[in-house]
Amino acid sequence: MDNRKLQSVKEFESYRTKIAESRKDEYPVIYVCGGTPCLAKGSRAVAHAFKKEIESQGLACKVELRHKVTGCQGFCSKGPVVSFGNDIVYLEVKPNHVPEIMEKTVKNAQVIDSLGYKDPQTKKRSASFEGIPFYSHQKGMILKGLREIDPLEIDDYIARGGYASLVRAFAMVPEEVIDLIAESGLRGRGGGGFPAGAKWKSCRAVDSEVRYVLCNGDEGDPGAFMDRSIMEGNPHAVIEGMIVGAWAVGAHHGYAYIRDEYPLAVKVMKKAVEDATAMGLLGRNILGTGFDFDIKITRGGGAFVCGESSALMRSIEGKVGEPRAKYIRSVEKGLYDLPTVLNNVETWTNVPLIVNNGAQWYRKTGTQGSPGTKVFSLAGKAVNTGLVEVPMGTTIRELVEKVGGGIRGGRKFKAVQTGGPSGGCIPESLADLPIDFDSLSKAGSMMGSGGIIVMDEATCMVDVAKYFISFLAEESCGKCSPCRDGLPRMKQILTDITEGRGKEGDIELLEELCEVLSYGALCGLGSSAPNPVLSTIKYFREEYEAHIRDKRCPAGVCRELVTFRIDADACTGCTLCAKQCPQACITGERKKAHVIDQSTCIKCGVCRDVCKFDAVRVE
Amino acid sequence: MEKITIKINGKDIEALKDQSVLEVARENGIAIPALCSHPEIETQAGSCRVCLVEVSQNGRSRVVTSCNYPVRGGIEVRTDTDLVRRIRKGVVELLLSRTPDAPVIQKLARENGIEGSRFFVDEAEHYRNRCIACSLCTQVCEEVVGVSAISMLDRGRDKAPGTPYLKPSQACIGCGACAYACPTEAISMIDEGEVRKIWGREFKMLTCSVCGKPYIPEAQVEWIVKTTGKDRSFFDKCPDHR
Repeated sequence: MDNRKLQSVKEFESYRTKIAESRKDEYPVIYVCGGTPCLAKGSRAVAHAFKKEIESQGLACKVELRHKVTGCQGFCSKGPVVSFGNDIVYLEVKPNHVPEIMEKTVKNAQVIDSLGYKDPQTKKRSASFEGIPFYSHQKGMILKGLREIDPLEIDDYIARGGYASLVRAFAMVPEEVIDLIAESGLRGRGGGGFPAGAKWKSCRAVDSEVRYVLCNGDEGDPGAFMDRSIMEGNPHAVIEGMIVGAWAVGAHHGYAYIRDEYPLAVKVMKKAVEDATAMGLLGRNILGTGFDFDIKITRGGGAFVCGESSALMRSIEGKVGEPRAKYIRSVEKGLYDLPTVLNNVETWTNVPLIVNNGAQWYRKTGTQGSPGTKVFSLAGKAVNTGLVEVPMGTTIRELVEKVGGGIRGGRKFKAVQTGGPSGGCIPESLADLPIDFDSLSKAGSMMGSGGIIVMDEATCMVDVAKYFISFLAEESCGKCSPCRDGLPRMKQILTDITEGRGKEGDIELLEELCEVLSYGALCGLGSSAPNPVLSTIKYFREEYEAHIRDKRCPAGVCRELVTFRIDADACTGCTLCAKQCPQACITGERKKAHVIDQSTCIKCGVCRDVCKFDAVRVE
Repeated sequence: MEKITIKINGKDIEALKDQSVLEVARENGIAIPALCSHPEIETQAGSCRVCLVEVSQNGRSRVVTSCNYPVRGGIEVRTDTDLVRRIRKGVVELLLSRTPDAPVIQKLARENGIEGSRFFVDEAEHYRNRCIACSLCTQVCEEVVGVSAISMLDRGRDKAPGTPYLKPSQACIGCGACAYACPTEAISMIDEGEVRKIWGREFKMLTCSVCGKPYIPEAQVEWIVKTTGKDRSFFDKCPDHR
């Protein structure tokens, strides 16, 4: 492998020119998405069908089943996704579509609109990235690489301009690089939104022989898969950012901490580190500049708390992953009590973009206080869900209604939950709020790492709070008493409320506990844990009151508090609900109104879900 | 050590940079309740959260644990603000609901005006008895004794000190430092004649050649001899008769 090692910046530049030249006449590539959702929807069979078709027709065409090499084309809810370069994208592709695609699109460059996206309102179909709202309202600064680059091929990355920022950074003194990042206004994408430039600067300012640069890839929020997709899909961008960061702060050792539940990310990142080292982009004397920097991959054991910076550092040291008091910051005393810069995967990925294009270019996207874009995993009740990237400052409504295509089943948009389990719920009435670090915190939620869960009118906000508090109680490391003992108490009170045992004073008691956690907990996870409760009390207090006073769940979710009834006027007697009822407690003649036997009904809600006439009412 | 001046409850106080707020307060006769801090431990875990105070600096104020907050020149500490009292009271109430039988917690509760926990007490939780999972025992075992026979196991509400896999530990020397350090007297150590029972093991005790009283586990003597090179005969007599 050593013979591939590039000895100087000049050698690197000529190597790039050489591979770019050799790729000019490349045959077309069919990208079959192999992200987990697409795989689940059968993308492997689709890729296989393409391969067979190409072989039988003797075509010079390369099929890449992206799951072998990468994650995600983004549009998870409409998978399997098949795309051709930058223009054409087909959704929900099945193996039997393959011959037609080969004949029309591959051989004759025709677009098959029927395989494109059908707009739920206009019913129009489009098969171009530009014509699909899910894609056209996004800005792919970070995700572009995921859709184009083969993550297992370092040459593919270099051919598309990869590692160019190193050349630029090495031509600057470290302080200039720090100033550039500070000017760009880049803020940490891991949740806190701390200015990256300021963090780097304070780390460099500490008098120490050894400094560390770390990457936080311990994405633990339920439903969040941004960092995983980036590590799986464009690992070299993360590494490139870390090298620039190391040069800027004067670190020679780095660690990428990746949770072990992401085996593919671990594998891909490991290979990327090996390849970069073999080429002389990592290791001793990088590109002949005399600068040394290496990266080790550390696998996390799956504790949610290890995403917290000080717990993560203890975990890398091989100790129990527990947070410590951060009265002395990690930039002074971090890993092994030495100055450390920790940024998350997405933050590092932004760094090469800034170095290559400049701070002013970067500031053109996003808002004054939060420049750039943000990658979100859009989940929940929206029509379109998946991995999305929008400029900071995009409103919640734009994200939900344009990119997300509105709410499924024509229901009403009620709220979004942002920021993972310790984020908060923002009601529809505030949906015109721009998504950036400061607006979300002001509204009682937070950016977090970028999970967005869309909720419709059939979502009970007390139940939502209970879900997140239960998650946090389960994941509390147990080191400090407010978090360890407070969260189970909150869970108990919320359970009582949702099961009809709520009493006057419960809301106030919850608020008291929230204050104890906010001020009293040791780490950021504990002190932000009240957010789901506080934000739902703030915006949906009447729902809590309905549960407590009237023993009623307005959204019809809390089983102990609801009754399912069939509206005789609306029921057409289609019998669908009776067939689906697991208790067989719905009776009625065909074409006549049906009735639910309340004595055996378990309130599972299947009847309501299957009814096409909205005849099942929840009271 | 650099000398600095800080304010505690409005009074100017001299301190050394990097001392903890709790240490400075105690040196000056200002009481701050605390459970899990211990002078022999290098890094205070700050897990019981009882020693909270409000610190302001440059016009910004925040609630911190006094046991591990390093003092800096110009900081102002308040041990008795409404906020501190509310949060401390909340913490103590949570501890009380966890360990209703621990006398030290009951006393703290009385001092903070708590008449009884408003939270549901789960009977099954009582297996933990009086432990508040502050980890002081495990820190003492590691840092002071140096054997690391016990560590904190599990997480969340199940977090508790114990030997690996809850099996009798060969590393334990039966010294009982964990039990002496425990702020809530939660660790069971029973001395019966020439036998000490702790952490699921029985230790044979050495008797004093003068008074005949069993006073130290033999395993502890071996450990001290091994680590300090002290002569074994030194342990023939108990501290009272040396």
